Order: sequence, then C-alpha cells, then structure tokens
Amino acid sequence: MDLSLTDQQEMLKQAVDDFVSRDAPIESLIELQQTERGFSDDMWRTAGELGWLGMLIPEEYGGSNTGYTDAGVVFEALGKGPVPGPFFSTVLAGEIIKELGNDSQKENYLTRIANGSLIATLAMSEPDYQWGVAGVQLTPTEDGEDYILNGEKSFVYDGHAADLIITAVRTGSGDNDISLLLVDTSTLGVSARKLEGFTSSESSVVFANARIPKSALLGESNAITDGLHAALMRATPLLCAYKVGGAQAVFDLSVQYSRDRVQFGRPIGRFQFVQNHIVQLVIHLDSARWTTYEALWKMDTGRETEAAIHLAKAVTSDGYRQACDYGHEVHAGTGVVREYGLTLYTRQSRSLFHALGEPRYHRKQLAKLMPTLQLDDE
Amino acid sequence: MDFAPSYTPEQEAFRKEVRSWLDDHAPVIEGDQDSPENYAKFRQLGRDLGQQGWLRPTAPVEFGGGGMGFEETVVLYEEMSRRDLSIPPYYDSGGWLGGASILVWGSDEQKQALLPPIFKGDVVTWQLLTGPEAGSDLAGTQTDAVRDGDDYIVNGEKIYVGGSNGVDMLWTLTRTDPDGERHKNLSWFMIPADLPGITIRPMDLLGDGGEGVGSGVKNTVYFDNVRVPAERLVGGENNGWQVATTHLELEHGAGGSVARNLWFARALEWARERRLNGRPLVEDSDAQDRLVEIYEKTEIQRLFGIRNFWMNRTHQAMTYEGPQSSYFRKLSGLDITTALHELFGPYALTNDEITDFSEGALDAYQRSAIVALHPGGTADVQKVLMARRIGMGRSEAERYKAGKTVE
Repeated sequence: MDLSLTDQQEMLKQAVDDFVSRDAPIESLIELQQTERGFSDDMWRTAGELGWLGMLIPEEYGGSNTGYTDAGVVFEALGKGPVPGPFFSTVLAGEIIKELGNDSQKENYLTRIANGSLIATLAMSEPDYQWGVAGVQLTPTEDGEDYILNGEKSFVYDGHAADLIITAVRTGSGDNDISLLLVDTSTLGVSARKLEGFTSSESSVVFANARIPKSALLGESNAITDGLHAALMRATPLLCAYKVGGAQAVFDLSVQYSRDRVQFGRPIGRFQFVQNHIVQLVIHLDSARWTTYEALWKMDTGRETEAAIHLAKAVTSDGYRQACDYGHEVHAGTGVVREYGLTLYTRQSRSLFHALGEPRYHRKQLAKLMPTLQLDDE
Repeated sequence: MDFAPSYTPEQEAFRKEVRSWLDDHAPVIEGDQDSPENYAKFRQLGRDLGQQGWLRPTAPVEFGGGGMGFEETVVLYEEMSRRDLSIPPYYDSGGWLGGASILVWGSDEQKQALLPPIFKGDVVTWQLLTGPEAGSDLAGTQTDAVRDGDDYIVNGEKIYVGGSNGVDMLWTLTRTDPDGERHKNLSWFMIPADLPGITIRPMDLLGDGGEGVGSGVKNTVYFDNVRVPAERLVGGENNGWQVATTHLELEHGAGGSVARNLWFARALEWARERRLNGRPLVEDSDAQDRLVEIYEKTEIQRLFGIRNFWMNRTHQAMTYEGPQSSYFRKLSGLDITTALHELFGPYALTNDEITDFSEGALDAYQRSAIVALHPGGTADVQKVLMARRIGMGRSEAERYKAGKTVE
C-alpha cells in the first residue's frame, strides 16, 4: 500500500503545474473563455510537444504508453488550471481508435494524436438527448462505396475545433447495431458550431449530404459496442481526474478567501456556517479524488474496474458541482465576478457534469451490477 | 499508487504463520457475541495474541507490544478481519487510547508498570471522558482531584463509559486547579477500577442491549472520595490536556482502517436471499438503487480509512483527515440506515425472534448509527476540528499549531 505519487508522477505534475502558472494564468483563461474557439492553440501545441496527449498510445505510434495513473496526474493538473482545450476529447478518441482501429487507421491517427497535430472527438448524442448507444439514431444511406449522412449530433465536446469526429451511426435494427465513422471535418457538408450558454466546449455538428467513404468505418459495422464501451470506460477516470483538479482549486480558493475576507471584524472563516461550507467541499473533493485514483490504479493493475469507474464518475460529477456550489456560498458576491475566476470552474462543473453520462446514468449502471457484484476481498 | 498492500515473500510467510496460529487459537463463537462465555473466549484469545506480541503489534517490544512494522501489521489485521475478529478481539478502546498516551507522556516507571498488562491483554481499560457537565467541552470537567500526601482524592462523575463485561483499569481527566487557566488546570490519571469509592452503574440508553440488541451498554462511573496513588498521575500535574490531545487525535479517526464497513456486504447478501413478487429482491430496480446508495457511502468510508491508515503508518503530517473520516462515518451511518429501511421496510426495525431475518443486526444498527453520532466527539465537533486544521480564517502559523498530530 502506497498512495503517494511515484517520482515520475511528481515530475509530471510539476511540469503541468509549471506550465499552468507560466502559460495559463487565470487572467488569460478568463479571456480565452470569451473567445470563439475557447482555448489556446499555443497551449494545445505545448501539450502535444510535452507528450501529454500520447501517454496512452503505444510507442510504435509515437506515444509513451505510460499508463492511466500517469495520465490521470496530468489531467488533474490541467483541470486545476482549469486549462480549457480538447485534451480529453482527443485522448478519448485515441482510446477508441486504439481499441477498434485497423493498422493503417492506428498509424494514421494515433501518431498524430500523440504529437498533438490532430484534434479529435467522439459524437454520440443527438437532439433527442440521452447518453449511451440507445440515443444513436442518425442513420446513413448507402451509395456505392460511400455512406451519405444527413442529420445532427448534439453536445459534441470540441466538435467545433476537431479535425476528426468519430461519429456513431445506426446501421441496423438491433439495439447494438451501431457503427463508427471516422469523419474528417473538412468533408463537404460537415459543419460544427459551438453552443453558447453555460457550456464549455459543447458543439452541434450538422451533416448535410456529407459523403463518407466506407473505408472510414472504425471497426466492423454493427460490432463495435463492446469495444466502444471498453474505450469509454478506460477514458472516463481521466475526465474524473480533470474534475478532481478543478475541485481542488475551488477548495484552495475558498480556504484562502476564508482567511482574507473580513466581515464583522473577523475573517469569515471563523464563522461556523462558513466553515461548514468548506467542510462539505473537502469531503466532496476527497471522495472524488480517492474514487478516481483507485479506479486508475485498478486499470493499471488489471483489476476488475467496472464498478469502480461508474462510482468514480458519479462521485466526481456530483463532487465537482457541489464543490463549486459550496465555493460560491463561501465567496458570495465575489464568486460571481467573472474576473475573480471561480466561475471558470463552476462552468466546467456544469458542462462536464453530464459528459460521458450524468451521475444518474452511472448509478443506474452500478445498480445493474448489484445482482452479480463481487467485493474485492471476497 | 498502490491501494492494496503489496506482499513480500516475508509477508506471505508471516501470513501463513498467522493463519495457522489462528487455526489453533481462534475460538468457536456461537450465539450471542456478548454472552459471558463468548466474552471469556475473546479475552483468552487476547491473552494468547498478547503472548505473540500481536495484540498491540506496533507497540514497542520492551513494553509488551509486537514492535512490528507497517507491512506485517497489515497482514495481521487482514487475517483477523477475514475471521470477523478485531484487534483486540474485545472492547478495549481505553487500552488502545490510554496506551498510546502513556507511551508519549508516561515516565519510564509508569511505562514499565502500566503498559505490559494492556499490551499483553491482561487488563481491560475504559476511558472516562464525558461528564454530566462536560460533553463536547471536555476541558470543562468538574471531576476534581485534590492532592493529599502521596495520594489524590478524586470526586465526581463520568458518563457514557465502557461496556457490559467488566473492567480493570480506568483513565480519566480531572480538575486539579479549579481556579486555574482553562486547559492548564487538568490532570490525567490511570486508576485501578477496584479502588474503594468507585461505583459503576449501567445507563438506560437507546442502544444499550436492554431490549436484546447490540453491545451498546454504557455506564456511569461515580468517584466518591477515591484515594488514587500519586504515581498514577501521567504527564504531570495540570498537564492533562496535553495528554488528552494525544488520545483525542487517535479517537478522531487519524489511525485509519483497512477494514470494510460490513453493511454493504450484508445488505447485498440479504437482498439476494429475500424475494419480491417471486424474484430475488436484488433484481428489483428500486432495491438496486438503495444498494448503490449504501455502496457509495461505504466505498468512500473505506477509501478515507485506507488513506488515513496509510498516512498514519507512514508518519505523514495529517491535519483534517482524522476528523473528516470520523464525521463522514457518523453522517453516512444515518444515510445507510435510511437506505436499509427503504430496502427492507419494517424488517429494518424489528428484532423479533421469529420475524427478523437479521438476528437483531438491522434493529441494532438503526439504533447504533444514532448512538454513534457522539462518541469521540460529536459530528459537529469533528467539523470544528477540521476547520481549525484546514486553517479556515486562520493564519498559517495558527493552522500549524492546530494541525499537530500524533502517531
């Protein structure tokens, strides 16, 4: 038993922390948030150069294949920024291609993901929103060696910035008759726009007579749901780690504010109602942290991970959201002033709440495991 | 990171040794865990463990402990817990907390005299902290100790003490300078329970076993002109609060635990056995949702426990983690009883010999989760401690002072 980071993980963490304080200070992130693209291409390039996008990619495709916990450490530090950008979307796409791609697809895409020259994402959900393959209704028509796509994918993270969108389509009448298409966003008839509001990088992707060659199928037609599920599950704890980093930052901000802000002649952190907000906040933070890192550890050590990952996702989605709620209770008016920075986290706690499924979805998956669940020590 | 203890060949060899030893020594327990016959078996196991140095595995060998390291201790705890046994195998939190305090604050003579009986399992020790006038405000005790020659004369009353199976030693916090400054007017004594003037009387409580449930018996201990030898004063006169800080920290959960809260496994097993509309209850979607609630709470409890266990045993600077774990355990206990109530309906409340399927466990837990809100500091006290240790509204220097912890 050893819950500390390895020396290499400490170095990784330090490298990302240094990058954040040097290149991504909170003031610049506030500006970025109001731009069309929502993130900085310089920051993206740096992440690629430093190898943060290839940590799960095999060495033969230019990655470092260092493992999930290492990648989790990087994502936590990015989330602490919170550094915006298509980091998670692209790494998730890499996991899906790693799982389902043929050799030439892996060669083509994984090498570019590893070096940061390809932004990729997954498009699953649609205007009739629900998470999971049941929500996939977009049905292509066939025309010779091509598929023709007409319709819309909704709430696609980073769709507006992506070079490649892994698009889930319905290709048969069975529940699992789903296929994945590697859609190059320069294809005629493919367009994306970022959705404005209390969102982060969600986009709407519209297909208007978009012609996608059948060679762009990722995996076999109607036989990808297991592989997609496996890849989604493996990537999920990295998103959790990103949220842990955000919740940690909100905790740090709130403790500092409880010391600095004086009302009625004393720091507000001396008032027990204020203390309670931070007490609850740190319980959410630590619950998120340790469920996430245990899930990462189980993945790295080949253990049974299904329950741990669903648990981590439910706990971190709730935890980040609640951490921000309590942070706002501590900060009151100051917290909603945009230039203070707290709302950068709040926005993400909302936007990422439903990413890869709401807590309700993951608790439902956990519920389904109950008849057969084995405890570790049994 | 490694959430499981990784085992060296030496550890695996030790595990074999422990297993085979337990095969020979672990008692067969039938019926009421707390019956006098079973209690005697647990005590004997405690003495046998003590001979091995396994009753207090990490305590120094020279005082009767095992002098064992982190990795060996983990194996021992695992093997005991595999057989539903704890270390010690009976209620002796007074020995655990008092022993830790004497190790820090006792004179050499006191350590030699007082620790081996605790660490060898020869005595059972109760802690006496709460008084009628001093609950969360422990330092406000009105139990007095007045010096008289080679003795102190102790008068007063402590409540919520001990258990149902008798006691050998009592330790308590007394006031030795009624006019003195707060926190600097207290003294800590280790007192033989058979001294004249000590009366122990059971209290009538929600979870006291009086209706056949649980092991929640607690007592009032009266001191009526009890003459305590001065050599039983530990840590010096008017230094009692410092001594208490040592065991209060441990009691606030800083020690951690690798054991799982058993309620999820129990609920799951019962949900698989019981039926609803001709199907196993566990296949019902609402039942599954309740199980998930319990799973979530117990998993987080387990993770906080592992974290604290690891931090404590590897001597890391701990601040808010102990009271956090304690607070979470207390509050989630109530949530779990609610989920169990929804899961099993009115079965959650009865211990009727024929109707109840849980052998009294469900009823006992509905009560003990409520009782558990106060021992070791109320849930609110845990939050106050967390606030101080985190340094809310305090400078770093103040935080550092409040963050002192013990191993």
